[in-house]
Amino acid sequence: MIGTLPLAAIPPEDEALRPEIRDFLRGTVPSIPPERRARSWMGFDAEFSRKLAERGWLGLTFPKEYGGAGRGPFARYVLAEELLAAGAPVSAHWIADRQSGPLIHRFGTEAQRCFYLPRICRAEAFFCIGMSEPNTGSDLASVTTRAVREGDGWRLNGAKIWTTNAHRSQYMIALVRTSGTPQDRHKGLSQVIVGLQAPGIRISPIRDLAGDAHFSEVVFEDVMLPADALIGEEGSGWMQVNAELAFERSGPERVLSSAVLLDCWAQWLREAGADTAAEALLGRLIAHLAVLRAMSVAVTSRLVEGESPVVEAALVKDLGTEFEQLIPTAIANILASPGHLAPGPLMRALAYTAAMAPSFSLRGGTREILRGMIARGMGLR
Amino acid sequence: MDGLLVRSAEELFTRHATSEAVRAIRAGGSPTLLWGEIEASGFLDALMPEDTGGAGLGPAEALPLLLAAGRFAVPLPIGDTMLARAALAAAGEAAPEGAIALGEPAGDSAARLPPGCHADWVLLSRGSAAVLLPIADATPDADASSPLANVLRWPNHAGRPLPAADVLAAGAWSEAAIMAGAMERILEDTVRHARDRQQFGRPIAAFQAVQQQLSVLTEDVFASRMAAQLASVPDGEGIAGLNPARIAAAKLRIGEASVRAAVIAHAVHGAMGITEELDLHLLTSLLRIGRMRFGGEAHWAAWLGRHYLAGDATETLAFVRAHLGPVAPEATP
Repeated sequence: MIGTLPLAAIPPEDEALRPEIRDFLRGTVPSIPPERRARSWMGFDAEFSRKLAERGWLGLTFPKEYGGAGRGPFARYVLAEELLAAGAPVSAHWIADRQSGPLIHRFGTEAQRCFYLPRICRAEAFFCIGMSEPNTGSDLASVTTRAVREGDGWRLNGAKIWTTNAHRSQYMIALVRTSGTPQDRHKGLSQVIVGLQAPGIRISPIRDLAGDAHFSEVVFEDVMLPADALIGEEGSGWMQVNAELAFERSGPERVLSSAVLLDCWAQWLREAGADTAAEALLGRLIAHLAVLRAMSVAVTSRLVEGESPVVEAALVKDLGTEFEQLIPTAIANILASPGHLAPGPLMRALAYTAAMAPSFSLRGGTREILRGMIARGMGLR
Repeated sequence: MDGLLVRSAEELFTRHATSEAVRAIRAGGSPTLLWGEIEASGFLDALMPEDTGGAGLGPAEALPLLLAAGRFAVPLPIGDTMLARAALAAAGEAAPEGAIALGEPAGDSAARLPPGCHADWVLLSRGSAAVLLPIADATPDADASSPLANVLRWPNHAGRPLPAADVLAAGAWSEAAIMAGAMERILEDTVRHARDRQQFGRPIAAFQAVQQQLSVLTEDVFASRMAAQLASVPDGEGIAGLNPARIAAAKLRIGEASVRAAVIAHAVHGAMGITEELDLHLLTSLLRIGRMRFGGEAHWAAWLGRHYLAGDATETLAFVRAHLGPVAPEATP
């Protein structure tokens, strides 16, 4: 059985960051139209990431000696909440700040930390994550991309796909096989950092159903990696990837992906008036948001205490993405009343969010995989 | 404190609110023994200020009691009496002896109460005031009653007006908390059954289709517990500091969860789940009745939506932070 989640609050010293962030966002984000802000953490703007870096808001959780601010997970939580609620274009640095940086800090060598972390903090190193392959999706242990020892370094062959931002990042952290065969499953997997300018790498952006190209296919043909490309222990890739996912699954980005649409619609109700059905939907969505946020904060407080609440994080992500998907579905239902003419920006934000909503419960672990993890946590398998 | 209170509540209910005792009371048997034990424990005075003879606890500290009452499907108005005594104490009135149910107005001098409600008094909102009415003086309205609620009537203008109290929100808090507790027990029982019950030569828990349903049940139970905790933060103007916005969110989230939870629990239990023999129906009928007491999802959702639009928030997240945020118990004002 899973333990209960007691009510936890964000500490005042981290809440204290909020006003400054909100001030900054008021000056930078409102000029972006809602349908672009609705892209949430898929909105890419390297210039915006650099502005955040100038403020010292990239790598908040990294130690000061590596260019970070030495803050805890709740400082980053406050920043992430405000960026997502505003619909700021954070995609360029998001993965490096949330996942790759913490991974390098935890498992990397001192030299790797000194090289990569300051660059992440300065918005000079954007990262992507090479997990999925053409024949590897939810069954992540079946990866076939292989790094073979050659001299001091490695020779890399294979392909990754659905890699967010591969065509506009400097680095990829890839999960690859360094020994054995796919039948060996979790054994023989390692993580390597690949500089994406290296010869032998071909990156082809893939257009999504909304017309954006935020993910790519990446092919490696005899790519030579230096010895220090390996991150962490050889053969520990599976354990490292899972540690990484606990951080990924319970944050505000699993609750707020449709927040821009929700706020645009609520603003329209305020201007145009709301009937009982609209009031009830708004109230229902607010109630869900409140409960999910409290759960997400409670899981973060477990992370702060040094625990690894993997199952609880899965629970937040599954409920959170269900909520993110409910928002466009239910708002579309209300706005479909005959005689209703909602403003164009609201309708364009709806069109984008509704079209992309199916991906919310796929990225970072599908709904079925998460429910399998919860079942294991409940002692059912 | 929490731990201590839960342990003594669970101990009391384990001993005196056994499945047999609960069933006997529900069937019209005397609640005197169980009620006497609850009264003697002091739980019913938990929310009254210490200078009026109470324990001076807040809703967050009393929550574990209601969760435990739900887990044991205790068929007595523990939450109602606790809140009525707190409301009377706040109005400077002495509480009468015995159990007090919170009534829902059902026309002039009429109240809707849960079926088989063992109470001596009803605290009822009337216009901008409240009245305390003795059950002994009421006439049951058989025609308006159903297995979901009984309707009682008093002569017009019966009872002395007392200062108003937000009985509806307070009742919704207590009901939501009890439902959240009942769902925790439903989850435990259903998981145990899925591991024990064998079909096709293995436990039904081994089937992915069953596992995925139990995961959804787990999610709803965790969300409900969190909703009850959020609703127990005493930053409002209601009885014992209860805040109607928090209660609106909790009653509707828990009401939604209760529907899904009951469906999954019954499905996983198969035909066994609808027998009288199994305790599951005690818990799911508590959910059905609780869901309909003091406002359901539609009522509270519209209330909360109107409440948002009546303010000046331009961001739902900012509203949630300001009015529905988690406040850790030790930081409670």
